[in-house]
Amino acid sequence: MSQITIIGIGQSFRGDDAVGLEAVRRWRDEFNETASRPEVQVEGCELPGLGLLDLFEGADSVLLVDAVQSGARVGTIHRIGPEELLAFSADSNSAHGWGVAETLGLARQLGLTLPPIHLIGVEAGQMDLGAGLSPEVEEMLPAVCMLIEEFAQKNLR
Amino acid sequence: MKNIEVPALARVEGEGGLFIGLQDGKAVEIRLDIYEPPRFFEGFLVGRFLQEVPDITARICGICPVAYQMSAAYALERALGVTIHPQARALRRLMYCGEYIESHALHIYLLQAPDMLGVQSALELAATAPDVVKNALRLKKIGNNLLKAIGGRSVHPVNVCVGGFYRWPKAADLKALLPDLEWGLAASIECAKWAATLPYPDLEIDYEFVALHHPNEYGVIEGEVLSSKGRVLTIPEYENGYIEEHVKHSNALHSHTVDGSTYLVGPLARLNLNNQQLSPAAKQALKDTGVELPLKNPYKSLLARAIELVHFYEEAIQLINAYKPEGRSYVSLKLKAGEGTGATEAPRGLLYHRYKIDDQGLVTFAKITPPTAQNLPRIEADLFALAPKIVEMPHEEATLTAEHLVRAYDPCISCATHFLKLKVENV
Repeated sequence: MSQITIIGIGQSFRGDDAVGLEAVRRWRDEFNETASRPEVQVEGCELPGLGLLDLFEGADSVLLVDAVQSGARVGTIHRIGPEELLAFSADSNSAHGWGVAETLGLARQLGLTLPPIHLIGVEAGQMDLGAGLSPEVEEMLPAVCMLIEEFAQKNLR
Repeated sequence: MKNIEVPALARVEGEGGLFIGLQDGKAVEIRLDIYEPPRFFEGFLVGRFLQEVPDITARICGICPVAYQMSAAYALERALGVTIHPQARALRRLMYCGEYIESHALHIYLLQAPDMLGVQSALELAATAPDVVKNALRLKKIGNNLLKAIGGRSVHPVNVCVGGFYRWPKAADLKALLPDLEWGLAASIECAKWAATLPYPDLEIDYEFVALHHPNEYGVIEGEVLSSKGRVLTIPEYENGYIEEHVKHSNALHSHTVDGSTYLVGPLARLNLNNQQLSPAAKQALKDTGVELPLKNPYKSLLARAIELVHFYEEAIQLINAYKPEGRSYVSLKLKAGEGTGATEAPRGLLYHRYKIDDQGLVTFAKITPPTAQNLPRIEADLFALAPKIVEMPHEEATLTAEHLVRAYDPCISCATHFLKLKVENV
């Protein structure tokens, strides 16, 4: 049976930055039957940095759910596959200099073996201290949950 | 000569930019523009129940959440007049060991070493010296695993509460970490040897060092606030010696002593003031490097961190060997109105909290003084000290030199959003 790891990334109290955390939390509640299977590992990380590499251990496939900023309309869902994700450049636009792209870049540089990593990104609007999710982002949560579930079903086979 | 501007500092915790204004080849203005969240949190905490405070303040920093939890817990315990179980106290030190190991390994190898070795980034270091980086990741991961064993997870661990811990971690889970910690102790001794060989730029500053000092242990969670200029204050007296004030260009407050001078907190201050309390292996590692204290070169914070890494690996082993959870992991709280202060040594330096609570245990006032707010005026002063050299350099080299100095401090400017927004300033 293949092991999957689903990781929500984001910070509480920082507006849309929390969307990854929120989406994974909501999926875990709504699709509890999937989320509580022994071969499913669910993680919520505020600022995982390099710690992300540790979370990949033992997984046959990984799904990251995170806020992204690409200039698209707020709430836009981006689905990025392993090939594309590894091609992301590691220019540091991340606190700690260690965002997801940098961490994957470092792993690649060191020749570490990683499982296939997928990303569901939700285009963030504001990231204000103390703010909740923007309505446009909140609105997309059910769709993101469906996509997480779809990923789980597909990879648990 | 152009002004030197680094709109976004890479490898600095959070958001920050640096501006050095030049006139006729002389630095006339130096500003570290920063965005820092403790101010927001001070307001956000008002009206919250005291038991929520450690976990909320932990969100201020993704690298040192434990420090925020600890200072908050001690301050609120002092407000209620409770003393925690001795094993809970030892467990807090052990948890702090995990945070120091994780934070120091990251900073030494991946944030500051690239600068000292003349490579652009840790990625480039990984290309030229993959074994060094792999070692760093392993050293760091052991710290993560220790935090996870105590706090349930490595990023924003949860388990510290006002009164102690919510639950005792299983002794077997901690003991299982011993082989890795033994490896880490040996590796950290090698790390200290390596750190002593790095080509640090020459710069000596006559700092006033300030750190928590405890006669019987390396000052981390309790003790007195000691200054190298002789000022000794209890933690509740801290604000009599050190004052925060608002500075126009900065979102953060800047601190100075009551005499109006700058001071330095962090690894150099701790090592210089507390070297007698280092563990035996760390004392030996320090001796082997041949360096003489006090260390006054800000770049050598890396070396101080390396010596501390040895200390915290060794202390973690001792604390796990002595771990004996008995009875309840927390003391019961009897709510009453009051005020309390707490200070602990975060990896980046002294972190002070003060709270007022009402008789329902709700926060009515919160004050948080993070290490970086205390060091900011000192970083700016150091940049001024460096300025005559910088103005002689080509622009790119000058920018890099200034950046290296700022990064040596490991400023935890904030863990704001994990997207660094570029601030471009018109000069």
